[in-house]
Amino acid sequence: MDKVTVKICSGTSCFVMGAAQIQALEFTPPADIADKIEIVEVRCMNLCKDIKTKYNKGPFVMVNDELIEEATFEKVVTKIREIIKAQEG
Amino acid sequence: MNDSLFIEIGTHQCQKDGEDCFGDTVFSKKIPEEQRIISILSDGLGSGVKANILSSMTTRMAMKFVESNMELLRSSEIMMDALPICQVRKISYATFSIVDSELGGKTRIIEMDNPPHMFIRDFKPLTVKCREISSPKWKDRTISVSQLTTQPEDRIIMVSDGVTQAGLGNKKYPLGWGRQGCMDFILKEIRKNPYISAHDLARAVVHEALDKEVEHKAGDDISCVVLYFRKPRKLLVLTGPPFDEDKDHEFAELVANYDGKTVICGGTTANIVERELCLKCEIDKTSFDDKIPMASTMEGVDLVTEGILTLTEVYRMLKEGIDKNKNNAAVRLAKMLLDSDKIDFVVGTKINIAHQDPNLPMELEIRRNIVKKIFRLLQSQYLKEISVRYI
Repeated sequence: MDKVTVKICSGTSCFVMGAAQIQALEFTPPADIADKIEIVEVRCMNLCKDIKTKYNKGPFVMVNDELIEEATFEKVVTKIREIIKAQEG
Repeated sequence: MNDSLFIEIGTHQCQKDGEDCFGDTVFSKKIPEEQRIISILSDGLGSGVKANILSSMTTRMAMKFVESNMELLRSSEIMMDALPICQVRKISYATFSIVDSELGGKTRIIEMDNPPHMFIRDFKPLTVKCREISSPKWKDRTISVSQLTTQPEDRIIMVSDGVTQAGLGNKKYPLGWGRQGCMDFILKEIRKNPYISAHDLARAVVHEALDKEVEHKAGDDISCVVLYFRKPRKLLVLTGPPFDEDKDHEFAELVANYDGKTVICGGTTANIVERELCLKCEIDKTSFDDKIPMASTMEGVDLVTEGILTLTEVYRMLKEGIDKNKNNAAVRLAKMLLDSDKIDFVVGTKINIAHQDPNLPMELEIRRNIVKKIFRLLQSQYLKEISVRYI
């Protein structure tokens, strides 16, 4: 089974809006998903600059090819579990 | 300034155990139009606030006199007359060591009652002939003046007596560490690392002196100043995308053509260089930190970091000291800045619209402002030669 790819934007605005906390996935991931994910750290993905809405929707995280706006550690982990469940199901 | 010689000045101090402020004062100044640097170390009588006042007054007065090339003996008399008299000892007193150096190499060292300076060339100590003068008014105080011509890789080290007397009374060092002990240590450090920066050497000397003290508590103010004469080390800092996108290529080429170390500060800036020079940039996970975004590596570039947060943290550390236990991107950048002599900033002035969202923390400064704060500090406090270009 392919690993779930998680791209965490570490551009300035994503970082201050909470990407730093999501990076914990890399170093202390929940045990059930630890060996099923691959974290890819990326510099600014430029998503903050082409937002359609007025305000910044960061931090941005891509889980496989799904974009999560206003991402949090919990939101990302939930999405990863959903994908794994779908793959296993 | 003369491209052939640069003087790096490194200082490290530790106050006497239990005191709130330094009794020794170090004051250095660069006079660019004369290609001259003056550095002064003064040790005030006693310790704490009283010593601090005496030594601060002495360094400030001495700087004015030396800077304006006033006659030495007359200047010293004025300084001794001006110092307030200690209530306990009924004397006014602060020692001093002054290094007055021209970038052409001509250097004068003026000393009164501090441990004699150490001059090191080719890993060996050199004794410089000195002339002694004393004022009829203050007969017991002799001023010694030495003249020498410096070359690249020479070092002059000034220490307060807190260094030479470190460990005094201790079983292992009944007479203190001594000037010779200190000299041997410095020679060992230089042999170990011939290019050790003035900052690192000054810090090493103070730490070693503290090691000699009973329970590592400083029995006196401990200060060390190192002047390291060398060919300038150059650093280019590229930060921020150019205002006009048409300049992106010219901007990226600066990195490729620079004859020194290069740093890129900013995600978008790195993207531009990566794109224009067809280089690959990858995140370096060894720099992980929960406060500062990670650094990246790019071929031919010495360091790639995020922009504003990293620069803001670098500014804080330049003011308050570098966090020794960390290895994040900001620590790496701050160390590179301190290890360089000539720093060229190229600042792209395009405003990042995503940073203007009012929901983001106040600390997100505008690039031009934070860079301005950093280079002013590097100029005034660390005496670096700085150039800034906005693009």
